[in-house]
Amino acid sequence: MAADKLPLISVRNLQKSFGVTKVLRGVNFTVSAGQIHALLGGNGAGKSTMIRIITGGIRKDDGEISLSSQRDTEPKIAVVHQELALLADLSVAENIAIVHAASARSFVHARKRAEIGYKALSLIDPHLANTALHRRAADLSMHEGQIVEIARALSTGADVIMLDEPTANLTAGETERLFAVLRRLVTETNIGIVFVSHRMKEIRQLCDVCTIIRDGMTVIDAAPLERLTDVEIVHHMGQPDARNEIPARHKIDHADVGLVLKGPECAVPVLKGQILGLAGAPAGPSQVIALLNGTARSSTWGLEAEGWPERPTSPRQAVELGIGYVSGDRRSKGVLAQLPIIDNVLASRRVREGRVFVRRSERTECLDLVQALKLKAGSILDLPSTLSGGNQQKLLIARWLGMSLRLVVFEEPTRGVDIGTKRDIYELIRRMADAGTIVIWWSTENVELLELCDEILAFDTDGQAKGLLQSSQFNEDALADLTGMAA
Amino acid sequence: MNTKARSMTSNDKNSPTPRAPSVLLAYRSELAIAMACVALLVGVGIFVPAALSSGNFANILQASAPLVIMSLGVLVVIITGGIDLSVGSIFSLTGMVTALAMANGFGDVTASLLGLGVGIVFGSINGVLITLVGLAPFVVTLITYAVAASLAFIVTNGRSLGVDSSDYWLLNSGELLPGIPNFVVFCLVFTVVLEFVLRKITAGRWFYSVGSSPMAAYLLGIPVKRTRFAAYVISGTMASFAGLLTVSYILNAEATAGASLMLQAIAAVVIGGASLAGGTGSAVGAVLGALMITIIQNGVNLIGINSFWQGSVTGLAILVAVLIDRFSHR
Repeated sequence: MAADKLPLISVRNLQKSFGVTKVLRGVNFTVSAGQIHALLGGNGAGKSTMIRIITGGIRKDDGEISLSSQRDTEPKIAVVHQELALLADLSVAENIAIVHAASARSFVHARKRAEIGYKALSLIDPHLANTALHRRAADLSMHEGQIVEIARALSTGADVIMLDEPTANLTAGETERLFAVLRRLVTETNIGIVFVSHRMKEIRQLCDVCTIIRDGMTVIDAAPLERLTDVEIVHHMGQPDARNEIPARHKIDHADVGLVLKGPECAVPVLKGQILGLAGAPAGPSQVIALLNGTARSSTWGLEAEGWPERPTSPRQAVELGIGYVSGDRRSKGVLAQLPIIDNVLASRRVREGRVFVRRSERTECLDLVQALKLKAGSILDLPSTLSGGNQQKLLIARWLGMSLRLVVFEEPTRGVDIGTKRDIYELIRRMADAGTIVIWWSTENVELLELCDEILAFDTDGQAKGLLQSSQFNEDALADLTGMAA
Repeated sequence: MNTKARSMTSNDKNSPTPRAPSVLLAYRSELAIAMACVALLVGVGIFVPAALSSGNFANILQASAPLVIMSLGVLVVIITGGIDLSVGSIFSLTGMVTALAMANGFGDVTASLLGLGVGIVFGSINGVLITLVGLAPFVVTLITYAVAASLAFIVTNGRSLGVDSSDYWLLNSGELLPGIPNFVVFCLVFTVVLEFVLRKITAGRWFYSVGSSPMAAYLLGIPVKRTRFAAYVISGTMASFAGLLTVSYILNAEATAGASLMLQAIAAVVIGGASLAGGTGSAVGAVLGALMITIIQNGVNLIGINSFWQGSVTGLAILVAVLIDRFSHR
């Protein structure tokens, strides 16, 4: 750690309420120069709200915030949010250059723009810098977009850079390169970095100090990370013990094949009540998921199941066949943001059961589901935006709970979700499988797949199926090897 | 740096308490618009006491009826996140087609159905081009707006057409329910039915779902294309019906009759609390928005301000409405 401890951000007793809900009840937060600072806390603890107040997105109710710079300029903070914030119709180079002072001039030479973009991108991903500079942001994959955003934030010369779960979409190699760049930036320019993540391993790898927020209050204020054990951290976050036992599995009947996934060169039989994990970069798993949820126009994958077509031709048909789908991309593929929780929860049931009227009894139905999921909500008539990320994810699962499905597809359901909620989601996945539903689950976190799945189908970065691991063969290194992704 | 651990004082708040949904709470923004309407009326009444006479109230209702009905149709489109610029032209063309059919010996009912056909056909064209071809609603309805507007001139070469039928006025001003003119009944029935559909029918919730997040709605099995298509057909048909009411009232059809109505209808929907981004809005709100616009026009006339000011005052009302909406949600 640098000897110079100039506080770049100093937040004292910050308070904020939304309506009657007090989100921040006295948060303290200090980021010093030359520090990589882990900001920890469960979903709904108030991390995002605090970041949004510091960066001026929303107004505080009370408390003090002072920002300072090590140079003579205005203090500057760059944030990489969890959700992508690129301008879809501009090129990658334009997206990066737009935050640079040079762009404030009326005319920016295209070559100058490309230079800025190239310099920024090549810090993290030289390959992308060479190939993607002139592509439209809308054409980037989730994961490329994330890299562009990080590169943009790093290149602005900000005094503090805040990264909200930046590694969620990155491969092991990219994560490593990102960490190296962050460390170099800190030592060379003495800036401050705030890192929000739910992955303990990465936090240990990268950060110097940590602040823990719980229920809108600071419980640990800038403590050196080496003084805290994982168990202590989880305890301070108010999470149930991370090693909480997940209920034991029911026995699976090995003769009871529910469906067969047929790939280009393989056929994977999946038993009723089995959890099949899909591991690896998006290319392969996304094809299987598109096949199952009915969004694939054509597919190299097909399925074989009693009474089912080779592939559902629309999500509607998929829902009617009894296929549930839960995406971790809550904003664009999950939540109906303008509709109250009740409509969000019941939408798929109304479609599947062909309900014509919105019945009064649906209130109780929704309330039961919400309670069964331990979903923290003020009222089922509130908008989903009043929920934390983890609770929004539970809401998406509530849509399919107890619905006599034959298959549920999970697409990164634990993205941006804290440890406590992750455990809840694992339990729900188990519960669905135990009820006889087939679960097909894609995750980029190999560890959780290894813990919960019965079998794992591994894909390499080109989308080729590389192998089917039985639970007896489960092994972190073997899986990382097959997929080229970090555990 | 010291490690400070603070004791936790919060209670466990796991159980979501179901708040009793009161009607007042559910309609609070509509209530605000209604109060604004009353305030406007009283304001005008200070200058011109006659504004508060029952005769003037009847005037306002009669004048607002076509706009109310058209706004209800436009509302459905706006809830789905779309826009319908063609309603004004459909309104005009409907009048021309109906009057022309009557002049050519068709009965009242047949002529009216032909008129309604204009809205159904143009609404369907909008719907097909938007959902199946995938063109932007703004562009598609700009095209049908232009085409329908020019057809309204073409059918009579620009002449206005009188309606000779002796009974046709009954559609608008007859009293199926004794004491209440039909146009009021139509407005009430359409409002209540649409409000019911939007709130209590699954397919009605789909309009909001599609407007809120088309991708999420699609993945949930909601028929996004059919829902969108239905919205444009409803909008076109309602615009046609509004056209019929107006012809029945003034017994005359003119090619430019609906020229100013499209923007007024969109304004009414926005004043009524809907967002042009889709996913929000209510029938009651849209009706109140239409009433407010009519009250403003009526007030400007009564006070004797140059009627060219109407647009400015309406613009100001929209600004106030969206500002209130914006700050009440923060």
